Amino acid sequence: MGNFVYDLFYNTDVLLKAWTTSAHASWAARGAPIVVLDILFQLLAAVAVALFLVLNALFIIWFERKISALMHMRRGPNRVGPFGLRQTLADTIKLLIKEDIIPDTADKSVFRAAPFVVLAATIMLFVVLPFGKGMTAADLNVGLLYFLAVSSLSVIGILAGGWASNNKYSLMGGMRSAAQIVSYEVPAVLSLLSVALLAGSLKMGDIVHAQPVFGYAVLQPVGFLLFLIASNAEINRGPFDLPESDSELVSGFLTEYSAMRFAFFFLAEYTNLFLAGAFGATLFLGGWRGPFLPPFVWFLIKSYILVFVLIWIRWSFPRLRVDHLMKFSWKVLLPIALLNLLVTAFLVKII
Amino acid sequence: MMYHDDKRAVVRALRGAFSLLQGMGITFSYIFHKPITIQYPEKRADIPLRFRGRLALPVDPEKGIDRCTACKICAKACPNHSIEITKEAKPEGSGPVKPRPASFMYNMGSCMFCNLCVEACPFFALVMADDYEMAATGKDGFIMDLVAEKRVLVGKKAPWWQSEFRTEGEA
Repeated sequence: MGNFVYDLFYNTDVLLKAWTTSAHASWAARGAPIVVLDILFQLLAAVAVALFLVLNALFIIWFERKISALMHMRRGPNRVGPFGLRQTLADTIKLLIKEDIIPDTADKSVFRAAPFVVLAATIMLFVVLPFGKGMTAADLNVGLLYFLAVSSLSVIGILAGGWASNNKYSLMGGMRSAAQIVSYEVPAVLSLLSVALLAGSLKMGDIVHAQPVFGYAVLQPVGFLLFLIASNAEINRGPFDLPESDSELVSGFLTEYSAMRFAFFFLAEYTNLFLAGAFGATLFLGGWRGPFLPPFVWFLIKSYILVFVLIWIRWSFPRLRVDHLMKFSWKVLLPIALLNLLVTAFLVKII
Repeated sequence: MMYHDDKRAVVRALRGAFSLLQGMGITFSYIFHKPITIQYPEKRADIPLRFRGRLALPVDPEKGIDRCTACKICAKACPNHSIEITKEAKPEGSGPVKPRPASFMYNMGSCMFCNLCVEACPFFALVMADDYEMAATGKDGFIMDLVAEKRVLVGKKAPWWQSEFRTEGEA
């Protein structure tokens, strides 16, 4: 029994593999189609991811509110539950039972679909995220490529939401978001290319295994910094929150959204924050690898440290101007990223 | 020239990056500061002595009566005509008595808390109390009779109001 518990925490991959093979064997013995079993396993993974997504969002929203409050010498949420931990739950329930207002002049079908597009793009990223040893929904051969491709899908939803709202603020927010995500995708890709060069693989599991003990952040400090900045811009946060800048655009693409659709955007936003931290931890900080503690605990610790850094950045710096934002991406980050890639490629070749 | 400008740009960029780190250091250090929030319904802020809450006609605890003589100087001093005083009718056939107000109607809705009535009162009968939760559900809720109220001052305003040596503008 003690052995089983140890395996459950430290050798999850062996346990999962044994379970799936035995399930497959018994399934085949009864003559049932294997496809059904595979679909069931995928559904199980999806449910686990969905559960994690909601719990994580509940925690991370509370975490950000608390950290920002402490930085402002405020107290933050402290009424609902211990330390205000249940505040987000109360807010979520409130948002779910509120009236769902759709503007009269809005493009109704697109308006309705947009939040789900954003959330779907976010959830799809969990497919390649290694939570721990063998705890990946599908360790694709092109995991890194998949990550880069899917992470920029959410811009479609944001742009659609901004367009369909038929509101000038929403439209401008959506446009800014599109411009921003497309521009910052380039340095992000280039910084991750150097990781792929070092690891010699695009598979997430291989990248985690290929890293030295301290991760690629030591070998790739510039790349790590670039990735942090670019991913911070891609999730529309921190000093790069132009798409929803409250002081100029009311709420950007969120202006016309209310109730559950707003909650979905919010959920996607905070899940994206976690994903930025999680992929940063996986690709640059050694993922779930670490001494003593179980793998997924290491993964969560590293992810939440990066999440804290992103929150810290957000509450420290004022928002950039639109032209400065573009200038920063194309004139500063891109040359540095190219140079970093060049140096990395050269060093990989000669060493 | 060109080289010089480039060099300056690099120096400026590095200095800018350093200043960003400095800013983050400041925000991080503030995490460990004690919150300055006062948890309002449970704890209350310390009201200053000369805080101007709503007007009151306090009762002297020794005599059990307020100091008002219905001279209406405060009503004249009020820029908004928020004070309306009626004098108590003098009993028939009695000798000289100190005049008393029958009612002291104070309309807080039009009061602007300027303290002019308090300064005008020659008997130090009026005081701006330390109330600050003064919401009402209608305009009528703001009109009150200060004589009928028989307000007893408590807290640090009470000894200040009672002191004989209280002079204008001095705390």
